[in-house]
Amino acid sequence: MSSHTNNPPEADSDSINFYDPAVAAHPQPVFRRLRDRCPVGKPIPGGAVCLSRYEDVLFALRHPEIFSAVMPAGLIGNVRPLIPLNVDPPEQTKYRKFLDPLFSNKKMLAMEKGVREIASNIVDRFADDDGCEFNTAFAIPYPSTVFLQLMGLPADDLDHFLSLKNAIIRPDAEDPEEQAKIRNESGEKIYAYFNKYLDEIEKSPRDDLLSLFVTAEVGGERMNREEILDICYLFLLGGLDTVTSTLGCMVSYLAQHPDRRQALVDDPALIPSAIEEMLRWETPVIQVVRTVVQDYTIGGVELKKGDPVTLVLGSANTDDEQFPNADEVDFERMPNKHIAFGSGPHRCLGSHLSRLELRVALEEFHRRIPEYTIKPGETPVYSHAIREVTYLPLQFGKGQK
Amino acid sequence: MPGGGGKIEHDRDACVGHGRCYVLAPDVFDEDERGHGVLKLASVPAELQDQARAAAENCPEDAISFQPDDAT
Ligand code: HEM
Ligand code: SF4
Repeated sequence: MSSHTNNPPEADSDSINFYDPAVAAHPQPVFRRLRDRCPVGKPIPGGAVCLSRYEDVLFALRHPEIFSAVMPAGLIGNVRPLIPLNVDPPEQTKYRKFLDPLFSNKKMLAMEKGVREIASNIVDRFADDDGCEFNTAFAIPYPSTVFLQLMGLPADDLDHFLSLKNAIIRPDAEDPEEQAKIRNESGEKIYAYFNKYLDEIEKSPRDDLLSLFVTAEVGGERMNREEILDICYLFLLGGLDTVTSTLGCMVSYLAQHPDRRQALVDDPALIPSAIEEMLRWETPVIQVVRTVVQDYTIGGVELKKGDPVTLVLGSANTDDEQFPNADEVDFERMPNKHIAFGSGPHRCLGSHLSRLELRVALEEFHRRIPEYTIKPGETPVYSHAIREVTYLPLQFGKGQK
Repeated sequence: MPGGGGKIEHDRDACVGHGRCYVLAPDVFDEDERGHGVLKLASVPAELQDQARAAAENCPEDAISFQPDDAT
């Protein structure tokens, strides 16, 4: 665990290395230099080619026949590729046809009351205090609690659930081999965790999402146990930290921009479009990865079959070619075709759930705590890769409740 | 300058269900089972021009095209 009170190291003001943890708090200027100097290139010698222009990133996302999302298993403790993320169309489409209706906008909106109750209960725990560390107090427990409920898993599993995914995302070790070992061990526990419930459900199906996974037909037949596990594994790793990170980025931004915060408090109807704009500006999932499966030239750079490619969503979303005055954060920006949830066939399955969770979180938080700032003398700490604000000390203002 | 209506088209093959259209233009688009957009009407009346334009401009897949009638 990194020390919380340390300020992040100074970033090299001329660097194009957006992987540098030192720039995690403010990656946007690095993206700009990257686009200007090598829009298709390697910010780190020997690393993967990065696409950083909106147009190129969008093209790659929409062309899986050139930029495949199929990945070898094992990078995050998984023993098989994740579904549907590491599967290309047309195979992938079969899974999405099954999953999309379960995560549609309508279905998610129908859960709003329950989600609001969860948000409100969590805010209750600290609303009367002088402040909170937002990540631990809210951003971490909230999406996981919602998720357990959605899946039909016991709320008491929260801590176990969190520790399983944390071991994968932030293994407590420096040495890469040691990290891989922790990931693999935790991966086994994740499979075992879901297996236990799936065994129970097979005996007596219930009225929840996991039961549907067991009983539904996908592409004309029931999914086997491995397919179900490969979906659950991805949910655990893709559906929790992403929301935690996004919420942290947003509340950190608002804590540092009192006029913007006030605008949302005064007019909560502005929240949905503000969320879109903060998704664009912060782009918590900075990058996604692909493998080139046929030789292809893009931006004058020849890519060879087998080359790994990184699509820098964060850079695409701050590209002036697509977003006039891209550096300006405008809560009423229109149009706003950001791709913080990706684009093309792998568009985030959880985008509707996320939008609901984010809106309800801001509404409930602001209802109880309309004024807050970063705790004086402290600095939020950002992690990179996924931009989680791992330490977000807030001070609540003027003692309002 | 409020013009007339216009003609709207939706490419179902390009749509992947971001849902910007039926959120921003609820009178022009519906949501299907999968959360993909579905057109409610083929020709857009004048009062829905803004919605139609917002949908077309905000679809991340560029799946919607809107041609306003010549303003008269
Ligand atoms: C604000 C929060 C979130 C952000 C920013 C986010 C972002 C993304 C992005 C960028 C992708 C595309 C990956 C790629 O193209 O390689 C993706 C895919 C995915 N996301 Fe999310 N996500 C969020 C929340 C969620 C949630 C809550 C779930 C829960 C179900 C989820 C489930 C998935 C799945 C299953 C995929 C893979 C879809 C496919 O490959 O067909 N995400 N997400
Ligand atoms: S915004 Fe575009 S991609 Fe999304 S549902 Fe509407 S048409 Fe489909």
